Formats: sequence, structure tokens, C-alpha cells
Amino acid sequence: MIDVADILPHRYPMLLVDRVLDIEPGRRVTAVKAITRNEPWYADAAAVSSSDGAAYPPALLVESWAQAAGLVFGIEQPNPDVLAGRVMLLGSLSDVEFHRPVLPGDVLEHRVRVARAVGETVIFEGECVVGGELVFTVSRMVVAYRPAGVLREAGGEQRT
Amino acid sequence: MTVHLDRPAEVGPGQPGAVDAVRDDTGARAVSPVAGAVHRTGPAEVTFTVSADEPVFAGHYPNFPIFPGMCVLEIAHRGALLTAPEPGLALAAMKSARFTAPVFAGDRLTVAVDWKRDRERWTCVARARAGDRDVAVVRLDYRAGGDR
Repeated sequence: MIDVADILPHRYPMLLVDRVLDIEPGRRVTAVKAITRNEPWYADAAAVSSSDGAAYPPALLVESWAQAAGLVFGIEQPNPDVLAGRVMLLGSLSDVEFHRPVLPGDVLEHRVRVARAVGETVIFEGECVVGGELVFTVSRMVVAYRPAGVLREAGGEQRT
Repeated sequence: MTVHLDRPAEVGPGQPGAVDAVRDDTGARAVSPVAGAVHRTGPAEVTFTVSADEPVFAGHYPNFPIFPGMCVLEIAHRGALLTAPEPGLALAAMKSARFTAPVFAGDRLTVAVDWKRDRERWTCVARARAGDRDVAVVRLDYRAGGDR
């Protein structure tokens, strides 16, 4: 079984992929994440007083999908330490359409495909479903693979 | 019915300066990866200061905290809801998002929003800056009929 923490640098509470169901390295992945009220975003009791109020934040839905995308190449070039090796940097997103809210108890199934890979730049596309029902679609996500040193340099600039 | 214990009594929704989107009257953004408050500082501007205490930093990343791009997007979304042209808008799409510089603890984000009606939807273009750096430009589409 693949341990996503061996591949991705994200950790609790921001490791938002639970398990890989199916992967073709460099081509596509299907991965799942279970949504639970035990995530820190639900710590405020007032937040879950109604079903609408308990909807999972769309930004985290897309973050989770993007982390699944990170597994496609990451499985052959793992990056468990963000300051070593090559890191995946999110460049842009286009046409992410949301179709239904996600609530605690839902299990997200992310389907991510490589649309195009040119040098160190990769374009992903795909969708997310819950119980076979479409949650959102991603027309295009562009990422760039860069040496981890670029992050250290950027952080250093900000801290001086 | 949501009870807001920590909202100052004199501050109402839509008033500049002290509105926290997490605890706004609709409760729409009550569940958020960003713990801090987004403040409306003008008719089309919100600000947010990135605290080192934000919970995402523990895991993004251990020993090297970077504020996630998706959290910048979350700030833009909350800024959009705070400045929305009508109540009850729900996020329908992220039409585009471009991330141009990383954001770190201590940064003060200023987000300028520009709303336009586009047939059945409202479109909000949000430009986020940290000091003199452009960090992101996002275009979000909203539809009427409930929050999420």
C-alpha cells in the first residue's frame, strides 16, 4: 500500500489525501479523502449548527485534488521533505466548476489526469466525485517542478 | 440560529473596519482553513494579516511554513463575500487563479475586488498583494441562492 506521507511534504492538518486507489505514474491517479468533523476547520461548534454551515471549504477541496495530482509524478520522485529534491509549485488554475457542496461523512474521489507535460511544467485535468456524483471539475491546473532551493531563497528574502 | 459571542455589539455586517467573515451573520464562511479575521477596509478592499499561529502552518510545511496558495484563494473568497453586491451568493466556479509569489507568516495581504454582473452569475476579480509583491489574481463566479 502506498503511504502518501512518503511522497508528499504536507502533514496534519494539511495532508488532504488519505489513500491511493489506482495510479499510472506520470499519467493519472485516483485517490480518496474522507471528510470528517474531526478536522480543525470544524473546531468552532457554531460552525456546524446547520448542514449548510458545515460545507467543506471549496479552497480545501481543490487543495486536496492538487495534492492527489502531486502523487502522479511524486510516486517516482518522492518529495516528503519540502526543502529537499524537487517541489511542485502551483502556477495557475482554470475553470474549476463546483456542482454540489461536500459535508462531513462524504468521501472524495479525486480523478486526476496529465493533460500535457512539457519539460518541468505539467498541466493536469480531472474531477472529483462523491458516491458517483460530480462535486467539481478542473479544466486545467498548471504546476512547475523546481529545485527545493527556490523556496528557501524566497523565504530568506521575506525574512530579511 | 447561530450565536456570535465575540462580535462587538456595535459592529454590524457591511461596516468597514471590523467585520470578521468567519463570524458574519450568514455563517457562510464559518468553516474555513484560515483562522484569522478578514477586515473590510474600503468599498472594494479587504485586508488580512497572516499570523504565525494559523493552523495550516503546522503541516504546510513542517519546519518551513508557507501560507498555501489555496488559503490566499480562501481570503479572496471571503473578501468577495464581505463586499458582495447582494446577499446569499454561493461560489459556483473558480474561473481562473494565478499565483505569482509565495506568502509567509507576518505578511499583510491587501485584496482589491472588482465585481461585475455576467448574465446569471456575478464575477469577482480579486487581486492580492503582500507589501509591494503581487501574490495572486483570482476570478471567482457566484450564483444567487445560498452560501457555501
